[in-house]
Amino acid sequence: MTGQAFFVLTALADGPRHGYGIVGEVAELSQGRVRLKIGSLYGMLDRLAIAGLIEPDREESHDGRLRRYYRLTRDGRRALAAEAELRASTARVVRTRLGLSGAEAAG
Amino acid sequence: MSGDLNLEHRYRRVLRLLPAYYRGKWEEDMVAAFLDSWLTGDREDDEAILEFCRPTWQETASVAGLAVRLHLGGAGAPRRYFAWEQAVRNAVLVVVLMHSARSVDAFVRLAWARRLFGIPGPPAYIAIAPPGGFWPSAFRVVDYVWIMIFVLLILGHNRTARVFAALAIVPDLVAVVQAQLNGTLQGAFGSWAFWVLLDLAPVLAMAAFYRDAPPAARKPWLLALPAGYLLVFAPVLAAEVTGNVVWLPDFAGLCCALVALACLAHTPKAWSRDSTGSGVWSLTLALLAAVTGLFRLASLGDYQHDPHLMTVSLAELLIVVVAAALVVPDATRAQTAVPAQSAYPRLGWKP
Repeated sequence: MTGQAFFVLTALADGPRHGYGIVGEVAELSQGRVRLKIGSLYGMLDRLAIAGLIEPDREESHDGRLRRYYRLTRDGRRALAAEAELRASTARVVRTRLGLSGAEAAG
Repeated sequence: MSGDLNLEHRYRRVLRLLPAYYRGKWEEDMVAAFLDSWLTGDREDDEAILEFCRPTWQETASVAGLAVRLHLGGAGAPRRYFAWEQAVRNAVLVVVLMHSARSVDAFVRLAWARRLFGIPGPPAYIAIAPPGGFWPSAFRVVDYVWIMIFVLLILGHNRTARVFAALAIVPDLVAVVQAQLNGTLQGAFGSWAFWVLLDLAPVLAMAAFYRDAPPAARKPWLLALPAGYLLVFAPVLAAEVTGNVVWLPDFAGLCCALVALACLAHTPKAWSRDSTGSGVWSLTLALLAAVTGLFRLASLGDYQHDPHLMTVSLAELLIVVVAAALVVPDATRAQTAVPAQSAYPRLGWKP
């Protein structure tokens, strides 16, 4: 799973979000390292929707414009959990090989 | 100037790069998210932003990148996009195969000249390699890089292949520009047409080898390289060695002949009642015929003072057009007959 897909799925993990909400959440989750452009975001959302990992949740009107919210599907939740576990175990290996304790790694 | 357009209209104009089916699905959503990213909630500020601001080049580039991927048939694209995507990938592989077989030819000639085969060296009139100097040396290295690019594409290392291919066409361009400026460029029309159609265009078309693109069938493509050398370049070398150069067409003519033969060989399948699956190859051949036809047409300029070669070249052009016409009906059908398939299977998805 690409870093962008991982962040987008993570942004939806605690509830549905609309397009720009996802952009903001991804920027925050990545501490500003991933700043999705709208073209890239919707390319990603389209692929994730086709893969069955996300689906539309609801539509709301905001300042005369329609905002569509997206949520994780059950498959999306499962794929995100598997990816998180993979990344966590990789991080553990890296810390061990570098001889870092948990506190040092966090610092 | 954009006149009475505001930021929303300017962004919608950028979104016109995307295929209609995709705009129908996502345009309103994209516009809403885009405006959300600009507007502040303050009425005066927002009015100024809407009136004077325009999409950034990064935003435009992201839409353009998405448009290229979708036009080449991403997941969820209509059938005709899938047919084009596969045909473009096949055509790119064929052109890179041609470059690779030329590389093998260059290696064989060089090795023979260096007496690596344990046999006497080639006759003096056989073209071996360009004389010394930086760019000729670079050519030799680049010649062999095409083999690597071909293998990388077959093995699915698409991004690496794209990077090497983008670098591989630079020495050719420098050499053509340098010769043009020095006034030493032989066959200027053909040289430029070669660079644009057989170097630059395939590299741009490598966008069809995106990260999730289905892999090529390895065995037949890998076998095609030695086969391509033995069936095309080895006979050319043999003709040169035996002094039968007069029968050899120039490179554009050789390309026309090969594509025409491929069209003829494919015609029975394209015309058969059970032509399932042949359409993508018909589309591939039609695409290759268009490229070689343009190559032949552009290089005609080099023969404007030689009526005989002009006639031969026009005949080659005619042959490739007629041969391509045989597969065009099947190619047209392919755009509706290729089953739409998702590049993202639902189970076991590993992006």
